[in-house]
Amino acid sequence: MQLEGMNGLMSVNTLTLEDIVAKTSDLPSLPAAALAVMRETDSPTGTAQSIARYLMQDQALTARILRLANSAYYGLARQIMDVSDAVVVLGMRCIRNLCMVASTYPWMIKPLKGYGLGPREMWTHSFAVAVGAQLVANRSRSSISDQAFTAGLLHNLGKVALSIWLEDKLAGMLSIACREGMTFDQVERKILGFDHCEVGAHMGEVWNLPKPLVEAMRFHHNPNACDPHNPLVDCVHVADYLSMSMGLGLGGDGLRYDFQEEALLRLGLTPESFDELAEEFMISYEQHEKLFEDAA
Amino acid sequence: MSAKGSAVRVAMADIQVLRKSGQLTCLGLGSGISLCGFDPVTSVAGMVQIMLPTAFQGKDLEKPGKFADTGVPALIEAMTRVGADQDRILFAMAGGAQIFRFNSAESKLDIGSRNAQATLEAVQAQGLQVVAQDTGGDVARTATFDLESGIFAVRTVTAGEKTLCNLRG
Repeated sequence: MQLEGMNGLMSVNTLTLEDIVAKTSDLPSLPAAALAVMRETDSPTGTAQSIARYLMQDQALTARILRLANSAYYGLARQIMDVSDAVVVLGMRCIRNLCMVASTYPWMIKPLKGYGLGPREMWTHSFAVAVGAQLVANRSRSSISDQAFTAGLLHNLGKVALSIWLEDKLAGMLSIACREGMTFDQVERKILGFDHCEVGAHMGEVWNLPKPLVEAMRFHHNPNACDPHNPLVDCVHVADYLSMSMGLGLGGDGLRYDFQEEALLRLGLTPESFDELAEEFMISYEQHEKLFEDAA
Repeated sequence: MSAKGSAVRVAMADIQVLRKSGQLTCLGLGSGISLCGFDPVTSVAGMVQIMLPTAFQGKDLEKPGKFADTGVPALIEAMTRVGADQDRILFAMAGGAQIFRFNSAESKLDIGSRNAQATLEAVQAQGLQVVAQDTGGDVARTATFDLESGIFAVRTVTAGEKTLCNLRG
């Protein structure tokens, strides 16, 4: 039985990272309008008008954003009828996050069998890391909280592409991890030659995402390897640990990863304050989660 | 004994109590603890999902179930309110997973094992005992208690479902 599993594992090790991305059918994508909104909000010349203009090019995205903007979560006194109105009322930063959520939600709610994730579990974890990374950035008095939200949301993008190749292989991989004392990403590298972090980073490059975001995907399990250190990577690493600890969207790989305390220290946070951070995270997650009860 | 669709879900920091029949379940536990109490005479069962070891001094306690030191007495109180006898309550618990590897020996970051320890101590402080536990490791667990059979079961991706104990004895 185990031998069969191992043979199955070996059959995927001839694939390259580029093969994975090129040969995986039904790969997700970010709408061009969402990418443009991200660029505009990062740009010093971005304006409410320019963001609204990009959004209006994508009717499906616009409809979803309007639904979110009019959800009970925001509790606005009047209904928002168009995106220009939404950008003015909610602000550019909020619209950016709504835009990312609206763009990723449809494909993140699908189950990922290769990682033992049922329907919505990938979404739950990604959204939790987004909320957590934003909180950690705020707690560290960093100005990157919006980018942290996006980085958290996209950090496990590589799993979406890799999952199909790892179906029926999870038990074998976990067995290797236990037998050889390895983390799950180390087993991915042993079997495939690369891990879900590298696949995600490659997809991020193909999508032309900003470099700091791509780094957050590439180094989220090994932030010490990011040279020079990137606070976005550290925020996602800490938020990933918080989300795993709270059991938010855990798959078969569970908590089989490293935690590098230096990431916490670089952000000016301490292990002694970790419980309070965890509680704040739970409160923040529950508040944000309400918004997306309406998004489904 | 997989959780039925009608099983009452015990969310983060939540406390749920049932009488006579039904199932209680905590899905996908990480470092959190599912603590289940059962009085076999009155068939009153309760479950709490504990997330952290100790409540913070000077902070409003909105959800006592969030912490081991406040969650255990709150669970017992909720159970006795519907007929359980505190002295008869037996406990089982699962969860308390931790990240596979820290690169420091800093135990403050290890929420899972601190949760498990604090829960055990809080139960013992009430003069009661945990008869079975499945804690630690780095796997996600789903814990389910079935009132009619008394079975407390734990499911993981790697080991599938196993009966941890029968609280009916």
